[in-house]
Amino acid sequence: MSRVIPATGSETLHGQDTTEGDVSRRPDDASAPAPGPAVLLIPTPALAPPEPRTRRGRRRALGLVVPVALVALWALAGAAGFISPRLLPPPAAVAEAGWDFVAGESTATLPGVVPFDGAAARHVSASVARWLSGFALGVGVGVPLGLALGLSRRAGELLDPLVQALRSIPITAWLPITLVWFGLSEGAARYLVFIGALFPIVIATADSAARVPRALVDTALMLGTSRSALARRVYVPAALPGIVTGLRLGLTLGWMSVIVAELTGQTSGVGAMMFAAREIGRLDHIIVGMATFAVIGLAGDVVLRAVSRRFVAWSEG
Amino acid sequence: MTAAAGAHAIPDVLAVRDLKKSYGDVHVLDGIDLDVAPDEVLAVLGPSGCGKSTLLRLLAGLEPVDAGEIRIGDEEVGGPSPDRPMVAQGATLFPWLSLRGNLEWGPRATGHADPAAAADELLEATALTGFADVRPGQLSGGMRQRAAIAQVLANRPPVLLLDEPFGALDAQTRLRMHEWLRGLLAERPTTVVLVTHDVDEALLLGDRLALLSARPSHVVERIDVPFGAERARSTLSDPGFVALKARVLDLVLSA
Repeated sequence: MSRVIPATGSETLHGQDTTEGDVSRRPDDASAPAPGPAVLLIPTPALAPPEPRTRRGRRRALGLVVPVALVALWALAGAAGFISPRLLPPPAAVAEAGWDFVAGESTATLPGVVPFDGAAARHVSASVARWLSGFALGVGVGVPLGLALGLSRRAGELLDPLVQALRSIPITAWLPITLVWFGLSEGAARYLVFIGALFPIVIATADSAARVPRALVDTALMLGTSRSALARRVYVPAALPGIVTGLRLGLTLGWMSVIVAELTGQTSGVGAMMFAAREIGRLDHIIVGMATFAVIGLAGDVVLRAVSRRFVAWSEG
Repeated sequence: MTAAAGAHAIPDVLAVRDLKKSYGDVHVLDGIDLDVAPDEVLAVLGPSGCGKSTLLRLLAGLEPVDAGEIRIGDEEVGGPSPDRPMVAQGATLFPWLSLRGNLEWGPRATGHADPAAAADELLEATALTGFADVRPGQLSGGMRQRAAIAQVLANRPPVLLLDEPFGALDAQTRLRMHEWLRGLLAERPTTVVLVTHDVDEALLLGDRLALLSARPSHVVERIDVPFGAERARSTLSDPGFVALKARVLDLVLSA
């Protein structure tokens, strides 16, 4: 599994003290580079300045050109006999399988057998439940831990090397020990999603908390804000855009961990369906599962961005 | 009791005695003495890098002193306090709050004033009433500096510390800011220590000047500014102003 380095991640959690120059920085100066392709892991869209509707529409339309061309090529190559359906079934067959998955008549199955026809709702809801519960746990642990790491030099010195080491462990490498700890269970699945979501959240939170300009904290103190209120009144709001970036990365990495989590003997879940399909050689089912992962993951990011937008709009200029 | 003794009974609001500060081997301040009378504007001038900003950070309580003493009234200065806030050139407004939210912050934290009333008053004093619901990022540089000064004035501090507050603004905006600040201080008398490298600014705003030497710095000269409250743009071309400016510049450059 590939590692994804958070956009705001840094080698050390404590950067240099921010100079006054940063304070006068206008949000629009700090904006991200121009919107690139819609790559999920590079969180540019939330930081990008708004663009006119027509231009955005044209850009989106342009983004469809290559996928449509590839599907056409795939269909043509299949029809011409260049690709064996056993290696890659044609798009029409995959679309048909997709239809069966969503709307097919579900048949009674034996216990332990993973159904496919008409089972989309069952699998998607199982995967999403694992995803969201693991992610929620990641947020609950990751944000407070990240704040502690970012705000307390001592906590940073104590824990930063450990966090950096642990986050270098691929999620698949957590699988064996997780199985020993939790057995083949729902708990194992949730734990893996939690681990997947945790580190980007911790690191982005710590990093953005450590980068809150000193001058902003000084101003709060000179306005009479008590030191005990600084975290709530200054650090968290000032770090929120960075925390949201961490949440988006955590949500995405949590979703990627779901497929690994469903190696823990689950009979429901999109990943469980895909592993079952491999056993019976149904490549069309596997591709339907991959497409399902793409759609749900993207939808989760869109929802999180929409929910967080009003809290971080100030940082978008 | 004689009139002179009566005048003496009013203590200096701000008294600095033999203040010293070093960063490692760098001796920045080497025995600074200053006295600032109530509602007086003291402009501190000095060559670049002489420690003017360090002096102000010490007065604000943002950094500990190595030796010496800073007194406000009868109290020795400890940490940061709403009684002597500092405003520097990078306006430190809270970017996630509206302008009104920024102005209400101080009174909410201290309870020194009614937040909404203080904000209304300061929005008017800064001519920003129409921008109450706007976030700082959408204001111009001059507006933000006015807002930053208004933000700390909401607590009605007896002492205001300004560190080159208009240094990042263009020359025309800066002139307007000088007139605005003079008007504001006329309405709300406040003791001000203004650190600047701009001699015009020091002479237009200051009642007195203190000139610092190069590092390690001490006060080399104190000058009473002989212009009254009616200073304006035209004062810049007054022969007395021009002569004094030439003298002060000589002192700064040879300090």
